[in-house]
Amino acid sequence: MRRALGIGLWVAAVAAGLAVYVFLPRLMSDFHSRDLAHAGVLFIAIVGLNMLTGYTGQISLGHGALMAIGGYTTAALVVHEHWRDVWTIPLAGIAGGVVGLLIGIPALRLSGLYLALATFAFAVAMPSLLRKFSGLTGGTQGLRFLESAPFQVTGLKGTVTVFGHSMTQNHFLYYLTWGIGIVGFAVAWLIVRGGFGRAFRALRDSEVAAVSAGVAPAANKTLAFALSGVYAGVAGSLLAIQTEIVNPLSFTVVLSVLIVVGAVVGGLGSLPGLVLGALFVEYLPTLAGHFSTRAGVPDFVYGAAIILVVILLPGGAGGLLRRAARPLTSWLYTRP
Amino acid sequence: MLLAFDWSQLAQQTVIGLSSGGTWALLALAIVLIYRSTGVVNFAQGEMAMLSTFVAWSLIHHGLSYWAAFFVTVAISFGGGVGLERAVIRPVERAPVLTVVIVTIGLVFVMDGIARWGWSSETRSLPNAFSARPIEIAGVAFSIQDLGNIAVSLGIVALLWLLFRFTKLGLALRASAVNPQESRLLGIRVSWMLALGWGLAAAMGAISGMLTAPALASFDQNLMQPVLLYALAGAVLGGLESPLGAVVGSLLLGVFINLIGTYVDWIGTDLRLPVALAVILGVLLVRPTGLFGGTPVRRV
Amino acid sequence: MRALYVFAALLGAFMLATAASGARTATPGVTPTEIVIGGTVPMTGVASGFKTVGLGASYYFKYVNGHGGVNHRKIHYIIKDDQYDPAQTSDKTRELVEQDHVFAIFNSLGTEHNLATRPYLNALGVPQLFVGSGGTTFGKDHKQWPWTIGYQPNYRAEGTIYGRYVAKTTPKARVGVLYQNDDYGKDLLAGFTKGLGKKAKLVVSKQGYNVDDPDVQSQVARLKSAKVKTLMVFATPKFAIQSYRFAFQLKWRPKVFVNVVSSASNILKLAEIASSKKQVEGSVSIVFLKDPTDPRWAKDRGIKLYRAIMKRYKDKGINANDVYNVYGMSVAHTFVEALKKAGKNPTRASIMKAATHLTLRNDPFLLPGVVVRTTPSDRFPLDQARLERWHKSRWISFGGLFRVR
Repeated sequence: MRRALGIGLWVAAVAAGLAVYVFLPRLMSDFHSRDLAHAGVLFIAIVGLNMLTGYTGQISLGHGALMAIGGYTTAALVVHEHWRDVWTIPLAGIAGGVVGLLIGIPALRLSGLYLALATFAFAVAMPSLLRKFSGLTGGTQGLRFLESAPFQVTGLKGTVTVFGHSMTQNHFLYYLTWGIGIVGFAVAWLIVRGGFGRAFRALRDSEVAAVSAGVAPAANKTLAFALSGVYAGVAGSLLAIQTEIVNPLSFTVVLSVLIVVGAVVGGLGSLPGLVLGALFVEYLPTLAGHFSTRAGVPDFVYGAAIILVVILLPGGAGGLLRRAARPLTSWLYTRP
Repeated sequence: MLLAFDWSQLAQQTVIGLSSGGTWALLALAIVLIYRSTGVVNFAQGEMAMLSTFVAWSLIHHGLSYWAAFFVTVAISFGGGVGLERAVIRPVERAPVLTVVIVTIGLVFVMDGIARWGWSSETRSLPNAFSARPIEIAGVAFSIQDLGNIAVSLGIVALLWLLFRFTKLGLALRASAVNPQESRLLGIRVSWMLALGWGLAAAMGAISGMLTAPALASFDQNLMQPVLLYALAGAVLGGLESPLGAVVGSLLLGVFINLIGTYVDWIGTDLRLPVALAVILGVLLVRPTGLFGGTPVRRV
Repeated sequence: MRALYVFAALLGAFMLATAASGARTATPGVTPTEIVIGGTVPMTGVASGFKTVGLGASYYFKYVNGHGGVNHRKIHYIIKDDQYDPAQTSDKTRELVEQDHVFAIFNSLGTEHNLATRPYLNALGVPQLFVGSGGTTFGKDHKQWPWTIGYQPNYRAEGTIYGRYVAKTTPKARVGVLYQNDDYGKDLLAGFTKGLGKKAKLVVSKQGYNVDDPDVQSQVARLKSAKVKTLMVFATPKFAIQSYRFAFQLKWRPKVFVNVVSSASNILKLAEIASSKKQVEGSVSIVFLKDPTDPRWAKDRGIKLYRAIMKRYKDKGINANDVYNVYGMSVAHTFVEALKKAGKNPTRASIMKAATHLTLRNDPFLLPGVVVRTTPSDRFPLDQARLERWHKSRWISFGGLFRVR
């Protein structure tokens, strides 16, 4: 009986989540959909990073650079090969996954702080690399969709028609991004619940023990890197599609930092809080700006909030949610 | 062919590499100091150094002489470092690596915010610590300031060596970083050792900021941002545990980046950051403890 | 490429036509009491030194509002921070247009940044007024982008002036260039090469740098070892100051031409501190604004007005000697004049028409004699300047006012 109730609650929660997704844009101005779409981009990257850092314990401060790979893949295909922008998303994901895999291999030899350092360096060096290969990337100018390939941009005229429904471009971007986000979240949930998830967690908690239990460390850890790379690639692609432009300055180390902060605030090693992590990273600077427009205040508030959350809520929002739900879950899942 | 090779260009670019590396060495020392005494890489080290530089600027602006302001700033920064550790790091002393990394990242924003709130973002300058007058030897020019920066860093290396090797305090610092649990059992007040480590590193950071600002001819809130990665690379190359390594590593890195940029056109000045990345990767993969580090120990 | 131009031109022309024919009902951003305009400026980040371009304009608007505004309407100027990232410029500009419903985009800063938003704004028929960039394309390519107009003298023309001057006055000197590796630096370099004409082979060394490099020591050393005697500094202030210092440290004293973006007196004074007075002496640049620290303008009415406005309206922490404030006030003054000419009930079409039919002789912040002049096919409002030479720690103009074309 309790089990059925537990399942029922789950279904209700999922249904509620989907309802929010579908109807939220009606409740707010058209332009806010764009902000939410941007939060969705971060959400996807955060979900991917969480699989890597939260579940296998490998720290990466370089996922912004993987987003750059995805973003530039999309931009190059749109501008040079005249692909329709949305059709490039799968390829951008694959590109991110490939680079993630390539990083994952040397990452096997690095751990903890060293890996953080190496990925940090990768993120800092990325704009230079993007500028160097200017034939492909447009160099310091970057690539501008509206100038070079406007007809490949979905929603150029302001409205988009999907399955017979007509909507504004901002709404389309919101639905596209969060739709992919929900799918990605579900996939991550399945992975994490399954064999891979158990292997990842075992490696995070004690690699030596995991190996002696038969978990193949190299394969699993690089897989996690590749997977998180796919998510980052897709996120980067969606960012390029939203802003209709890629430029080295859009993919600095700050972006990598935002993704990590979002994952930690959302709750590493668990999935539910990650939406809150994405919203935190997206909206906190704006909220801080309302506090005071004096220079420096938004930065200060942002940094202070990060520190406070990490100190007071080590499990992030996810940990908080779990603690809050504990009375319910323990009642549901214990035998009477 | 040997005669046709432009030796003076090689010599000059080497000297310039030493000059750039010399400024990175100062920040690298601060990074190594914190790592050595607390086991943490402080990503906010550059921003803390930058904030100290603004404090120094204000002191000078209010009439203090350069050296008076210098020492006052070092003292204030030391206090600030200790305070930061007590307030922000102590709660996460026993937390996993990632948590502390995130806290230092939060500190980056906090320091930046304070610096932008307290001072406007116009370009300023700090007086030279040492004369910038050029000296020319055998067609190669450099300035007293370049020598001064390197001398200061080596001097600090010597002081740290004395501290860590020959004083009980230094021993306690090292023990607290390497094995906090056992150190507590031995009666060492580990918490205070960590605070001291942060204070020293903050003081070192202040020195690096106050010498880097005149070396780069002007400063604003973005002073340390381009320097951070090179300082990290220099510290990694020399060995994160070794102050001497930080200095030698940074100098070597400066020369290497400059020469490879001069003689390999494709790299030129465009790919300096990726070269630093390659150095970091290479060192961490091949010999993670760096040139001056010992053999790595893997704890189970 | 061409498809886009045709598309944008048609769409833009269509919008211009419907707007002009009065087919629109209410003009966004215009109410009986207010005109709302907006722009993006790097308030934080690596380029935040340029924020006074926007802030200076905002102070001038506050002054105008304090005197009744324009046709009983106050000017509400919204500045958004794009952190010098063109993708954020794109986002924030959209916000201004779609959420804040501004009448026009005004005084946004940055070359790549305005290039990023130009197609969007032109497609929607939103005026992109007095772009904060010397990119030549903003004035030249008006057929494709009818809703866009620049303001400051364009970089290519500035470079050409230096080129012609060098070719004429030092026809045998070995020339070197330090340039920022982006549109701004490359535009100056292209103009300079063009201005040298047949003497182009005087250039023996070109050294580029990126905006996130810590120092340009290596580049300066290479210029010295190429035995350069005349150095063109096409760099932003931080790196311009460094070029003096590192040359000084290398015991090298070339004749320096420094581009106008880095020519503010306080920047050169910092360069003197960083190197020596002798090192900076004799540097040449162009000038079109009145520098507030120049004793020449101490009693000037325009600068007195500038000081009064700054005293009354400036934000805490802003330096009244920062010449970018003067630039901001100049462009704001031009906007106000255009707005007056746009009629009692301005529309987007009428402001574009006013902005492309300007002949202003009374700008208090520009050099005497400079006329802000535009026609629909000449979209370079400022195209006059004088040469100036740094002597005994101040700028002294020489020669006449000439056209920077």
